[in-house]
Amino acid sequence: MVELVVFVLMGGGALAGGVTVIKARNPVYSAMGLLGTLFAIAVLYVMQLAHFVAAVQVIVYAGAVLTLFLFVIMMVGVDKEEDVRETIPHQRRLALALGLIAIGIVVSLVARGRFAWVPVASAAADPQATNGTVQALAEPMFTDWVLAFEATALLLTIAAAGTIALASFRRPVADTAAERTGV
Amino acid sequence: MIPPPEINWFALLPLLVLGLGAAAVLLVDVQMKPHPKWLVRMAAAVLLATAAGALLQGWWLRRLEAGETVGTPLPFSGFLIVDRYAIFGTLLLAAIALLGLGAGQRFIVSLGRRAAEAIALVLLSTSGFMLMLSTPQLVMMFLGLEIGSISLYVVAGFSRQERQSEEAAIKYFLLGSFASAIFIYGVALVYAATGSLQLFEQQELLSRVAFVKPGVLLIGLALLIVGLAFKVTAAPFHGWAPDVYQGAPAGMVGFMAAAAKVGGFAALARIMATAFEGYIETWATVVAGIAVLSMIVGSFLAVVQSDFRRLLAYSGVAHAGFILTGIVAGEAGIGSIWFYLAVYTVQLVGAYAVVAAVSGASSAGSPLASYAGLAKRQPMLAHALTVLLLGMAGIPLTSGFIAKFGVFQDAFRAGFGWLVVVALLASVVSFFIYLRVIVTMYMEEPLEDRVLVLTVPLRLVLWTTLAMTVVFGLFPVPLLRLTAISLPL
Repeated sequence: MVELVVFVLMGGGALAGGVTVIKARNPVYSAMGLLGTLFAIAVLYVMQLAHFVAAVQVIVYAGAVLTLFLFVIMMVGVDKEEDVRETIPHQRRLALALGLIAIGIVVSLVARGRFAWVPVASAAADPQATNGTVQALAEPMFTDWVLAFEATALLLTIAAAGTIALASFRRPVADTAAERTGV
Repeated sequence: MIPPPEINWFALLPLLVLGLGAAAVLLVDVQMKPHPKWLVRMAAAVLLATAAGALLQGWWLRRLEAGETVGTPLPFSGFLIVDRYAIFGTLLLAAIALLGLGAGQRFIVSLGRRAAEAIALVLLSTSGFMLMLSTPQLVMMFLGLEIGSISLYVVAGFSRQERQSEEAAIKYFLLGSFASAIFIYGVALVYAATGSLQLFEQQELLSRVAFVKPGVLLIGLALLIVGLAFKVTAAPFHGWAPDVYQGAPAGMVGFMAAAAKVGGFAALARIMATAFEGYIETWATVVAGIAVLSMIVGSFLAVVQSDFRRLLAYSGVAHAGFILTGIVAGEAGIGSIWFYLAVYTVQLVGAYAVVAAVSGASSAGSPLASYAGLAKRQPMLAHALTVLLLGMAGIPLTSGFIAKFGVFQDAFRAGFGWLVVVALLASVVSFFIYLRVIVTMYMEEPLEDRVLVLTVPLRLVLWTTLAMTVVFGLFPVPLLRLTAISLPL
């Protein structure tokens, strides 16, 4: 029962967020709608005991990716008049057709009872299940996989050193002057 | 409460020294701002320490086999392996990085404040390829491949004042990432088929279970081969190599090409000879096909090049084909592959060191015309390049001859006679390519009279590579013995 209530609330929230993304006039509101959708889906993940995926969803998507979106929106300018003409021919009809196909696939899968690939674990069914939790991930990561985990430190060092090396490069002065004048 | 993992510092020794050394170079640069040449010397010391660490491991391995000490050659739950194969590969990579730093010293010094990053990236790239060949675990191998490759993408773009260098970096980055994606996809499919990421567990399973429908396994295997063939510039996955090796800074190209080849071939040979030795009938034909294509494409396209660096890149494609003829023999060919890699990569670093001396350390491109009359302008360079090219061509009395003979013999014994015939024909064509360069250097009049400066490290690199080409051509037995026992566990 609890599961159903949470699902209806969060599923509804995800849908409402999705509609906001499309319908909002202000792009910042669209981004906020996307944020709502991402959070609602994260809660759904927690219900499926996929704690790690939920955490990643909040940290990476809601945290980093959305911030990037907002950066771009702010850089382009929020109050700028947008050109909303649709340039792809038959865009709406195509979108409608693809959407109907997607719904058809989901409905047919449900109708035939093809649930084999859906994980059975759920908080309500088995409160002791650890599959997909942060702990289940942490244990191999810091025991068997510790070397692979540590080796990624080298990648981070490379990223830092590489960025400095490529970004701190200055074109010779004469060169840039020639470019500016278009010679 | 998670039990703390068991850390085997001894197995980690060479990697640890290199990684800490790279960090130390960066930190010393920040704190003391020494002249870049001191950083190069520091990196050389780090590489020597790495080699010493590898030798120490060899001594430990011998004691382990004699039963004088306890331990496992597969520490970190089988994520790392200490065997003669890994130790030889580590020593070879350390030697290549040392020679590469010597050849690139002038370029590194010319970078000024960015020198520390260049040195650190060379060290980190070396550690990545070392990791790649000293692990029997496919995810770890992928990590090593990425650590090695991503550093090289940056190194390719270091001299950004040359448009071609930027082009080389972005091309290498995009196509290299694509190849890495193919490799990791192959890893995923092999995992899906066998349920394990570890080569020994896969080997055990594959020797026990016969697949009725091995489709997923074979597609995974094919993707692994394609991903690594890209890194070692085997045709038809070589398209990026001429542009990258032409555009990247001249002082660094030798190291870039050599290290990637050692890492790629060592990983390929380990995967093929360990996990999939039972499927040799299947993959040997595919590898033989790639080898034939590489030898033909590489040799014939090298003939029409007018830029020496592109010529070397295409001849590198042909050499990748020659090495692949050794791979078709499976575990029996590993000794010859090591010998070929050791001999060829050293010659490659030497040849690109000459390029750096002739065309300038940070230049992109090196037209053949600038080698005209090199024997009159700077005899030392001309003589050195002649010997190195003759070695690459596989003329008797040079190490290249022994190397080619070894891989051809192994392929012939494995029943690939037709492959050896193609390889011999390709060798003849490639001899013509190298002869053309030699004729240009000795018979033509110089077109420019700019004085070519030979720095001390460059001289050292040239003399070392020359000595190795000649000595291992005349007295190959010690190295042959060493490579013959450098087998995977």
